[in-house]
Amino acid sequence: MAIRNLSPCSSSGTINLSPSVPHYGTPFSTKSVNFSSRDNSCRWVSHILSEFRSRKLIQLKSSNGHPLNAVSFKDDLPGSPIAKEHTMPQVEGSLPIAESVREQPTLSITIVGASGDLAKKKIFPALFALFYEDCLPENFTVFGYARTEMTDEQLRNMISETLTCRIDKRENCDEKMKEFLKRCFYQSGQYNSEEDFSELNRKLKEKEAGRLPNRLFYLSIPPNIFVDVVRCASLKASSKVGWTRVIVEKPFGRDSDSSRELTRCLKQYLHEDQIFRIDHYLGKELVENLSVLRFSNLVFEPLWSRNFIRNVQLIFSEDFGTEGRGGYFDSYGIIRDIMQNHLLQILALFAMETPVSLDAEDIRNEKVKVLRSMRPLQLEDVIVGQYKGHNKGAKSYPSYTDDPSVAKDSLTPTFAAAALFVNNARWDGVPFLMKAGKALHTKRGEIRVQFRHVPGNLYKTNFGTDLDKATNELVIRVQPDEALFLKINNKVPGLGMRLDRSDLNLLYKARYPREIPDAYERLLLDAIEGERRLFIRSDELDAAWALFTPLLKDLEQRKIAPELYPYGSRGPVGAHYLAAKYNVRWGDLSAEDS
Amino acid sequence: MAAFSSADCSSYYSSSSPYTLAPVSRNGHYRIQFVKVSSLTNCPSQKVFSRLQTQNTSNSNVVGMRDVATIINPAERKTPVEKLRDGSLSATFSEERNDRLCFDSRKDESTVSITVVGASGDLAKKKIFPALFALYYEDCLPKHFTIYGYARSKMADEELRKTISKTLTCRIDKRENCSEKMEQFLKRCFYHSGQYDSLENFAELDKKLKEHEAGRISNRLLYLSIPPNIFIDAVRCASLSASSTNGWTLVIVEKPFGRDSESSAALTRGLKQYLNEDQIFRIDHYLGKELVENLSVLRFSNLVFEPLWSRQYIRNVQLIFSEDFGTEGRGGYFDNYGIIRDIMQNHLLQILALFAMETPVSCDAEDIRNEKVKVLRSMRPLRLEDVALGQYKSHTKGGITYPSYTDDKAVPNDSLTPTFAAAALFIDNARWDGVPFLMKAGKALHTRRAEIRVQFRHVPGNLYNRNIGTDLDQAANELVIKIQPDEAIYLKINNKVPGLGMRLDRSTLNLHYAARYSKEIPDAYERLLLDAIDGERRLFIRSDELDAAWALFTPLLKEIEEKKITPEYYPYGSRGPVGAHYLAARCNVRWGDLGLDL
Repeated sequence: MAIRNLSPCSSSGTINLSPSVPHYGTPFSTKSVNFSSRDNSCRWVSHILSEFRSRKLIQLKSSNGHPLNAVSFKDDLPGSPIAKEHTMPQVEGSLPIAESVREQPTLSITIVGASGDLAKKKIFPALFALFYEDCLPENFTVFGYARTEMTDEQLRNMISETLTCRIDKRENCDEKMKEFLKRCFYQSGQYNSEEDFSELNRKLKEKEAGRLPNRLFYLSIPPNIFVDVVRCASLKASSKVGWTRVIVEKPFGRDSDSSRELTRCLKQYLHEDQIFRIDHYLGKELVENLSVLRFSNLVFEPLWSRNFIRNVQLIFSEDFGTEGRGGYFDSYGIIRDIMQNHLLQILALFAMETPVSLDAEDIRNEKVKVLRSMRPLQLEDVIVGQYKGHNKGAKSYPSYTDDPSVAKDSLTPTFAAAALFVNNARWDGVPFLMKAGKALHTKRGEIRVQFRHVPGNLYKTNFGTDLDKATNELVIRVQPDEALFLKINNKVPGLGMRLDRSDLNLLYKARYPREIPDAYERLLLDAIEGERRLFIRSDELDAAWALFTPLLKDLEQRKIAPELYPYGSRGPVGAHYLAAKYNVRWGDLSAEDS
Repeated sequence: MAAFSSADCSSYYSSSSPYTLAPVSRNGHYRIQFVKVSSLTNCPSQKVFSRLQTQNTSNSNVVGMRDVATIINPAERKTPVEKLRDGSLSATFSEERNDRLCFDSRKDESTVSITVVGASGDLAKKKIFPALFALYYEDCLPKHFTIYGYARSKMADEELRKTISKTLTCRIDKRENCSEKMEQFLKRCFYHSGQYDSLENFAELDKKLKEHEAGRISNRLLYLSIPPNIFIDAVRCASLSASSTNGWTLVIVEKPFGRDSESSAALTRGLKQYLNEDQIFRIDHYLGKELVENLSVLRFSNLVFEPLWSRQYIRNVQLIFSEDFGTEGRGGYFDNYGIIRDIMQNHLLQILALFAMETPVSCDAEDIRNEKVKVLRSMRPLRLEDVALGQYKSHTKGGITYPSYTDDKAVPNDSLTPTFAAAALFIDNARWDGVPFLMKAGKALHTRRAEIRVQFRHVPGNLYNRNIGTDLDQAANELVIKIQPDEAIYLKINNKVPGLGMRLDRSTLNLHYAARYSKEIPDAYERLLLDAIDGERRLFIRSDELDAAWALFTPLLKEIEEKKITPEYYPYGSRGPVGAHYLAARCNVRWGDLGLDL
């Protein structure tokens, strides 16, 4: 099989950057300093960095004719300390080449909330995997930051338990792990103490040893202390000469107002460009592949519209409940937890028009356009559910309200299905159905594209009266068992003429024996490289909240009682009625269940 | 997987449950629909032994069977209007039609006699008898049937049975009761020796057939498995002396149907002295291949393919046939015809016509064949510069020496007959203008293969062109329909290589028949014989199709012979002459089967 690769996307994006100075203009110098390749050739890149950089600089100058530092940011917030610092790298970028080569950059990654679950299960392992694959810069340091008192050794012990290698990479794993752990340190401190962050800053400086410092903060902490941490970190621990970036995880507020407030607060200390809002679903292999499928194959794009697509289904299900940790969930609910972010992001990627280029800003511009073309959800377009206890065999499964951290009379939905519409020329009238739920019968994330029936089907007598049962369907299974399949009608081999549905199939496991990297690896690497394609811009976030906020308010004000469904079931039947209203049938619950 | 349905648009019904329909009578005409389904389910399509003879009564009967709704549409099973002709045969013929149409009403009283003329030949032994046995095994033959072998050699019934029993192997998944079934089958096989041009000998055959028919309605099928020069003699004798008087008589003929427009027209004229067009079943066994049949299903029962099926998206279509052996001492027949007549003008051209046709009005034989003829008539006749010819030469590989074509004792030493040919064809209609249809057929190549390759255009303004490099066409999508061996359908798509970074490669959306369908796929001859017994003409070639096909190739063939064009030599077991690549290059095409990724 021919593998065509030439340059990794990030680099091609960089080269393209100059002609269209985007909205939240990416400081190119930031990019060029960090220019690094993603595949296994990470290492050599640093050696030829200067070559690339000089080429790019030339291109930049010649293409827009302006001095590099003349680029202005639309959202500029003069006066905020980091915003000022942030302009520094641009100056650095135009330094004489020789000097910038001499000055080797270092990368310090600080995980704020290092003792938390996400940090242990996802962030440290992802960093280790990146290190294992030589994707981290030569000089890097990882710092854990949390309130607990701990020594470096204790942190290392703690994270080494979950630092497992990916399956196909067992070789030298122990050795690599040791090397990695040596680069991990710990600093304890309060999240709102500028002093403690100064202390962190001191330690970081030590490790950076005079090299050009770039700093990445990963906020793995509850949202109510986001702003405190950002304040302290930006005032006391941001890089003076290199870049400083902050990764934040959901929840980004709980409605339009609180989200806007959070953004406003973050922007007191950070420039939009420095904020990396992570949606880890966007880092999933098949979500990334969605655009590749559409835009690098001739056979899909002609079908990608209301002319051929009857409906699109975005399905997320978990086969477990809150399992005693429902405290956070109960104040958000499944709509905020899954739909408003993960599923909506996939929808936007799916439905967007062809972007001008693969640059982050171009893609995000198109996504925002989709979100802004959508009509806000109505109560009648949604059904909500909550799981109840269920006995199966000898085992008894708890109800949602059995969770000790959940209020007994909680009306928080653990299941929701919704119908959304994109009112633009491409998608007018096509229902986009979303479904997300906990404690269902299966664990699954998938995109289903159901096509219209064949007009004037010659073989209609073979299908009986319901032509819609025989329509084509494209299924993109995001997890588990990544796969892509197109259901087609086919003649059953043999004498006579019987038709059935078979699949044109691509099962990733069979085709790509290598383990697929975790979404966090990709996203961390992107953040390190300053590639913003998979992160959420604030106007995207605003548009997403604008769609859901009226509905969420309505649900809460009217105290809509969710339809109860048994733990481990297929969810409330209300979802079927919702689908029926739009003349749709859920693809994941049909007889041919795949 | 859901198997929807069962009823074919033409004439088949299948169901897992036995069912019977009560006869429906209307207006004094007998419109009897009797649907017989055996209780056995191993025959996927039980036949409807009914021919609805209504002219325009639209008595569709909607029959609900379990989860299957079957609509019996009289229009779909109406046999083509017969043209009455002068002569006794025609009279019999129209009469016999009536009987045939309703023979189900007296099903128990009707018989089918299948006479294989040329029973001692290779094709008969290897293909026809085994196919008949497979049909019998699957209960697809009518209750009363007799099989006669007819040839010049003197032989007893027993001897015939012995000869054919050697090749009568069951299909793999059907081992059960095989020997028992085989015995039963052989009991129905008889032999009659006679000359192919003797009215008397055929009259004797007729007498014997009548014995077996025992007064029931007799339907007769003659399979001419004989050299073309005696086609007309056999047809004359059979039709005059051995055709059915109260049932139908059909004749199956195999290629070659002449060697150019004139000889083909002469043959057709000759046959039509004794047979009506409707009685002539010209077999092209490629049309009976599973994936060739599936081609129309793919196009017309899926929404996702038809929008792409035009010059707007398809860059070129390739029809590829290759064998990994030469003539192996039996080149006598072949040398007189050559690969173009042997493979291209019939098999590949038929597939092309099916591929490129417009949507037919229905799945009826005549509707489909009308569309195919339209395609053929829209094509430009081939010119010499659109063709590359080759002939294999000897080759020594690893101690084994493979012979050249002219080493074949049955072939003259100075033969210029092509054993390989590649051609570029064009359909000058609105759908296909400018799209090259490339054909390639050859013997003694490196692989045995038959496939259809549809190469799509490149993605206009591809966002990922940096990842693909400068040659966008190398990253174009391709739909491959593999007809043999290892039946499969796959669509090559561009995909992100999983992992960090953005690398693209081509992977396939795949449907491999062996993995998806555990049942053995029936041989093409089974399907075609069954269709002939059923009077289903969809997969047989009509004379106007044949004329149009010859019209495309005759000027080229004449020129090749008149100018004594020397074929390009290629080693036995190689990938064929490089001339094929230059031909493709002229059309700005790259052969899909010889690329790095298949």
